[in-house]
Amino acid sequence: MKDKKLRIHHIIDALRPGFYTIVKAFLSMILVVFIQSTAFGQQIDVSGTVTGEDGNSIPGVSILVQGTSTGTTTNIDGEYSLTAPSDGTLIFSYIGYIRQEVAINGRNTIDIVLQESIALLDELIVTGYSTQRRADITGAVASIDIESASRVTSASVLQRLDGRVSGVTVDAGGSPGSRSTVRIRGISSFGNNEPLYIVDGTPVQDSFMNFLSPNDIESIQVLKDASSASIYGSRANNGVIIIETKKGTEGAPQVEVNIRTGMATPVNSYDSFLFTDALEYHQILKAVHENAGLAVPTNTYGNPNSPAIPNYIWPNDGRNPTNSLAPFGLTEDDYVWGQASQQQNQIMPGSAGTNWWDAVFGTGYTQDYNVAVSGGGANNRYNVSFNYFDQEGTAAYNRFQRGTIRVNTDFSLGNLTIGENIALTLEESYGGLGGDYLGEGNIMGKNILQQPIVPIYDIGGNFASGKAPGLGNMSNPLKIAYNNRDDKGKYTRVFGNTFVRYNVMEKVVVQSRLGFNLSFGNGTNFNARFPEDSEPSFSESISEFQNNSREWTWSNTATYMDTFGERHNVNVLVGQEAIESQYRGINGSLGQLVTTDINARYIQDAIGNPDTKNVSSGGSIGSLLSFFGKVDYNYDQRYNLSATVRRDGSSRLGPNNRWGTFPALSAGWRISNESFMQDNDFFSNIMIRAGYGVTGNQSIPGGRAFDLFGGGTGDTFYAIGGGNGIVTGYRQDALGNPDLKWEENTSVNAGLDLEFFEGRFNFVLDVYERTTDNLLFAPGLPATAGRANAPIVNIGKMQNTGFDFTIGYRGNISRDLNLSISFNGSHYKNEILRIDGEQDSFQGPISSRFGNAVINEVGKPIGSFRGLKTDGIFANQAEVDAHVTQAGAKPGRFRFVDVNGDGEITLEDRTIIGDPHPDFIGGLDLELQYKNWDFNANIFGTFGNDIFDVQKEFYVFRNFNTNVRTDLLTKSAIVENGQVTNIGSAIYPRLDISDTFSNEQSSFFVEDGSYVRLRSLQVGYSFPPDVVPGMRNLRLFVQAENLFTITGYSGLDPALPALGASSGGIDVRDQARGMDRGSYPSNKTLTFGVSAVFN
Amino acid sequence: MNTMKKLSKFKLLIGSAFLIIAGTIVGCGEDFLNAPPQGSLDEVTLANESGVEATLIGTYRVLGGWSTGIGGGWGAASSNWTFGSVASDDAYKGSENTDQPDIEDIEYYTWGLSGAEAYLNDKWRSVWEGVVRSNSTIRLLNSVQESDAPIGDAVANSIRGEALFLRAHFHFEAWKMWGNIPYFTEEDTETRKSNVGVDAVSLILADLNQAISLLPNTPRNGQVGRVTAWTAKAYKGRVEAYSGDLASALTTLRDVRQNGPYALEEDFHRVWTGFEDFQNGPETILVYQASVNDGNPGGDNANWGERLNFPHGGPLGTCCGFHQPSQNLANAFIVDGDGLPLAVSSPGTWNNNDDYIGSDSSLPLDPRIDWTIGRHGVPYLDWGPHAASWVRDPNFGGEYNSKKNVHEIASGSQSNVGWVPSQLNGVNFHLYRYADMLLLLAEAEVEHGSLENARAIVNEIRARAAVGVQGPGDDASTISVPIDDPSITWADYQVGQYPGPWTNQATARQAVRWERRVELGMEGHRFFDLRRWGTYQDVLNAYIQVERTRLAKLGNAAPLEGRHQWYAIPEIQIELSRVDGEETLVQNPGW
Repeated sequence: MKDKKLRIHHIIDALRPGFYTIVKAFLSMILVVFIQSTAFGQQIDVSGTVTGEDGNSIPGVSILVQGTSTGTTTNIDGEYSLTAPSDGTLIFSYIGYIRQEVAINGRNTIDIVLQESIALLDELIVTGYSTQRRADITGAVASIDIESASRVTSASVLQRLDGRVSGVTVDAGGSPGSRSTVRIRGISSFGNNEPLYIVDGTPVQDSFMNFLSPNDIESIQVLKDASSASIYGSRANNGVIIIETKKGTEGAPQVEVNIRTGMATPVNSYDSFLFTDALEYHQILKAVHENAGLAVPTNTYGNPNSPAIPNYIWPNDGRNPTNSLAPFGLTEDDYVWGQASQQQNQIMPGSAGTNWWDAVFGTGYTQDYNVAVSGGGANNRYNVSFNYFDQEGTAAYNRFQRGTIRVNTDFSLGNLTIGENIALTLEESYGGLGGDYLGEGNIMGKNILQQPIVPIYDIGGNFASGKAPGLGNMSNPLKIAYNNRDDKGKYTRVFGNTFVRYNVMEKVVVQSRLGFNLSFGNGTNFNARFPEDSEPSFSESISEFQNNSREWTWSNTATYMDTFGERHNVNVLVGQEAIESQYRGINGSLGQLVTTDINARYIQDAIGNPDTKNVSSGGSIGSLLSFFGKVDYNYDQRYNLSATVRRDGSSRLGPNNRWGTFPALSAGWRISNESFMQDNDFFSNIMIRAGYGVTGNQSIPGGRAFDLFGGGTGDTFYAIGGGNGIVTGYRQDALGNPDLKWEENTSVNAGLDLEFFEGRFNFVLDVYERTTDNLLFAPGLPATAGRANAPIVNIGKMQNTGFDFTIGYRGNISRDLNLSISFNGSHYKNEILRIDGEQDSFQGPISSRFGNAVINEVGKPIGSFRGLKTDGIFANQAEVDAHVTQAGAKPGRFRFVDVNGDGEITLEDRTIIGDPHPDFIGGLDLELQYKNWDFNANIFGTFGNDIFDVQKEFYVFRNFNTNVRTDLLTKSAIVENGQVTNIGSAIYPRLDISDTFSNEQSSFFVEDGSYVRLRSLQVGYSFPPDVVPGMRNLRLFVQAENLFTITGYSGLDPALPALGASSGGIDVRDQARGMDRGSYPSNKTLTFGVSAVFN
Repeated sequence: MNTMKKLSKFKLLIGSAFLIIAGTIVGCGEDFLNAPPQGSLDEVTLANESGVEATLIGTYRVLGGWSTGIGGGWGAASSNWTFGSVASDDAYKGSENTDQPDIEDIEYYTWGLSGAEAYLNDKWRSVWEGVVRSNSTIRLLNSVQESDAPIGDAVANSIRGEALFLRAHFHFEAWKMWGNIPYFTEEDTETRKSNVGVDAVSLILADLNQAISLLPNTPRNGQVGRVTAWTAKAYKGRVEAYSGDLASALTTLRDVRQNGPYALEEDFHRVWTGFEDFQNGPETILVYQASVNDGNPGGDNANWGERLNFPHGGPLGTCCGFHQPSQNLANAFIVDGDGLPLAVSSPGTWNNNDDYIGSDSSLPLDPRIDWTIGRHGVPYLDWGPHAASWVRDPNFGGEYNSKKNVHEIASGSQSNVGWVPSQLNGVNFHLYRYADMLLLLAEAEVEHGSLENARAIVNEIRARAAVGVQGPGDDASTISVPIDDPSITWADYQVGQYPGPWTNQATARQAVRWERRVELGMEGHRFFDLRRWGTYQDVLNAYIQVERTRLAKLGNAAPLEGRHQWYAIPEIQIELSRVDGEETLVQNPGW
């Protein structure tokens, strides 16, 4: 016994430096994978015909001799012949039909009738810690069509879920490998709303999921309601997505190769609605000044009545256009770049029209290679795959690369099965806007809104910018991209698990699974000097980070399955789980570099100014301990009942409230199995379901049960003795709350499953209500509480109500033409019910130049837009006079609504002006098969969601003298003799640089963000088998993505990511949805692909 | 049989293994769930003398207004350059029309709009952070004093006095802005308090009185940044003067003048300087001790709040051309044939000059103009002659640049790090200097009727102004030269003494107030002074009427009204103040 105990300790010890163990295991399993055993009897010839239930023969059916690589396919008449051992078994398989295994038993002729697999009720679905027959599921569980999802080009599988399953929304930018915001049935918290992903039994919360090659995925199930998800307890508030990777099946090694290559361009471009001609832009410059009664600046274009492109925009004396360098005592030979004392000598030519969009965005190429070997013997199965994915962004110097090796194996030793699923991934990326921390200072934002007169390069071939007065303070966006090209973020990820499963008795199975999630990241960042900017900088610096995180999950379960009295089916699961995670990172920086050589970008004293060197590190730890159980019961395939309970303890919560219990109960009634329905041949399945459950959320930073103190050199340290010697100072960083407890989500779900017309039509509908109470959040405290992070409290309450449905048809129109259509739709309504019990609103986390446009208000959805309400444009002074007091009111300017009726337009008149949440989201999947041709299309639509176009601060209101929309020339109010002459058609206020009033955040910034988009269109051709010897399956396809978009949105792309935002260490991106701050546009992609299966 | 036995043995083994696993996990469950905060200090670590001292240092740090480390925005600059200066006749917003347009809401007196709100909220957050840190220090001190290892009385008293002083200062800043403010002490646990009927001035004075009784007369540990009983007394006089109680101010400030350690710097150049040797001289009552190249990677401890207020271009390599002096302020330095302010001797004509006052101007000028305003052709400290190309956009900000916050090249007080390091320097921004105090005392003397005392003060200040003027040199000794130095080719400097005696109170009042304007120009006091004197509506409405003809954008300005007595309390803070749906903060009248 002592020995065994020791062994346990060994295991625990092994977990900690687990990486080495894992590598060893990994290597040994690769070796074992190829060991297989097969047996051969006497060889005989077998032939026959394969037909469907309708009597028609089926061509192309795959026939394999079990345990061998011998196989064939049926010909055009459904006939086959092959040589096989007389005691062997044949496996017949064809897409859309139920696979059949038939023992040969010495026969020479075997005719087979294949059943269509429309009725998926017997399909086994992986749900919480176990598998269930689809027919027995009583919660809201949806499956992703993997085939359909594969028709999207993305590094991450998450971006492929959009519109493919009801109740799930995905928001992501077009940057390769960028973050996805996946939300199931609305938003349940002010903070974390990430679903829990279970990959081969190992939980992970990750918005990127780039470590998982989408090619490796076998199935994805979405547990949408609490009755199905609460077995995952404390982390299941936002739904659970269960991903299973491909496992081997018994048979000879089968090699599958998938190659795709494509090219992408942005779906839309700024040059389609911004100025690209400098002289045309001058008309705006002229109008905004003249209408304000101000002199038009002449320092760049000269006389406003005969504007001209100057020979140089810099140097410039701020008074006159520079057509000659002589007044500055310069010639082009005096050109100097980069020194503060010689700024005049950086010489930049005038540009007749720079297309900044074209300078930055163009075509990006994608390659995706996947090779997988799978198979197995009687006692083992394996699937080994290799993936290389390389996607260039449509933006310059933007690329994501990934290499993955995956090995999934299992071995049977009698009643004992051991196995592992493991992936090793290397990721490398640079450029782009992957984290959605969008603002002004990157390749998009305001930088890409440089005026067209600004050249891309100066006369020395270095990057130029708008240094002269009136040309804005933007930086060259192409330069930013160029400088980022060496700023590679590199990640190494090892993710997987090993398991042991033992059939203790016929009906009892115990399993132990050890999952691990290890990540090692590092990256560098180079900050260039920007001497060419209007607001110049002259010093370079570098920064660098290294971090590692590791998490292990150990779950142990026992299941018992039995049937009593033929009609009572019982399935019992008990289990226990422990999770421990650690994160540690270090970063440093060095300024005033003496060289910018890429090979010298290290933080070393001699490479920069050692006084500027700065290093800091940080980390976190956390653990979770759980016990759970589940009982499924069904009586006679008619009445289903399912009950679960989970008890979780979390290190993140207050010592007083560490443990939480999460129960769930659901029931189903399969009406179609009742005797009174036996004569009904219209419905093949009718099931009504109802469930209730409680789930939790504990996603807050660790340590927040306690008051935290700290300080920093720039924050609390102070030169109390004068001079430059700072002395240590402290302050309170965070207020603790020892009573922190779980956030609880109570969910009620009712569902209906229908199948009719012999199962050709199916319909699934779920309605739900989810109420989150004791919301974990730190609502902003008034400034009189100071700057320390407010205590996280459990007070808030939020509700989501909605429905989601799927309706589908599958069948053959004729013998050669198969059709499948699936439409899914969903709706949710989000409402804040309580914030902290005192406040009835608080602002969102992101402010733009003109203020904070997001308010979270009781009775309204999270992340609503707030501002003044515009009420058209003042047509004349009489209208101004008739209006309430409004600062700066004049004909041609916006009129705002006096919402509170106090006779004056003030900030108190701000009201809710928009809602970023859609009213309805729908996805349509269409598949046609005609002989060897197949055709697929996916259309996605979102309706009723608003966008707050922050970019209007720039391209309408010209903040920082940016480029603007061309339609400002035609659609701005025109005032003549105090009267607006185009009051009916003007949508913008009068061009007037002194109008600092119309730009108040208002409903003018809000637009309907609805759109319908042809997500993908694919045409494929499958060659008949053995056209190429040894190649069982060869398919070529051409695919287009995002071919067209129908939208009324006037900005770049209505498909916006949720902006990256955090508050006090909590991810609060759901308070920053639908904000267009210059997001990376979606990609219009054309892809060519080939997939082949070799025997 | 053998196999069977083996199997059942195996079963037993597996079963036991599971039992042990479960047992191990359950047994160490609570330990397993202990995950202490990482990389933080806790209360226990702080609860001792060094913890209290460091918390006090953290409180002093907020004197700097804001930085990336503290948070906030330009509105939090402790110089009040937006609220005290741009809102007055001293300065324009500057820069380009479309850069920081929020400030235009302040400049145009449309303080209820969202742009003003953003800046006001910066200031609001900054001052209350100071109050919170002051109170944390006092609370921590109290807990240490009740512990087994209390701090010795002398040190403890000084710590308490310093914290009380700082608390008074931050409340005073809030009161200056908003008038109706709540008052928070170390005993408050609630973070939402009403601002209705709070006599903030009395509470500030009470804190200052207590501080005076606790503080030593010289800086503790010889650290010049620490406040003393004299700092608190001088500040008390300021609060009395600002609250209109000039009689009390007279008593308090006379005491400080007669018995305190303060004096004017010999040379005006030494007041605003990056030279470390010149800093913390006798004129310093309270400054933010700016620091550069001190190990912070962002230059956060430099004079951060001023970093927009540099010439745009030129050899400094800086931007952004904000806080540009007005033509009105430039005219304020014009003197008459006696070297006395034209505004005093000829109140109807002094502002008739619409012409740019460059180096080619023949107007006689008070030399302080060239310590206050960057003018074309005039040496800009030791950066060479100020040039037209240093101005960002004359259409919107005029032709002048600010100067007091700028460092000399030779001082070496420029940062090596941060965004545009040359805009981060170690110039200590004066929050209260002795000349300021003297002029408050002079006001009190005028109102008391002791006009000659006032004249003596004004003349003392004018005498100092004549000692050192902007010179052409490039080191500490030649950046400032005597007023009659032959190297001066860019100005006709004259600064005369008021001949005695003063007999007319109104004339004396005008002379004192004008002296205050030219001495303290661009230091963020002007709007608050005008309001104190009750002249803000008359003076500023008249200013706008004239100045809009010089800078057309000022045509947007709204008229000054009674509601401009106080700034608007940021709407967001009123929203956050709600308790059970009721706002505990009440907005100031008219906003």
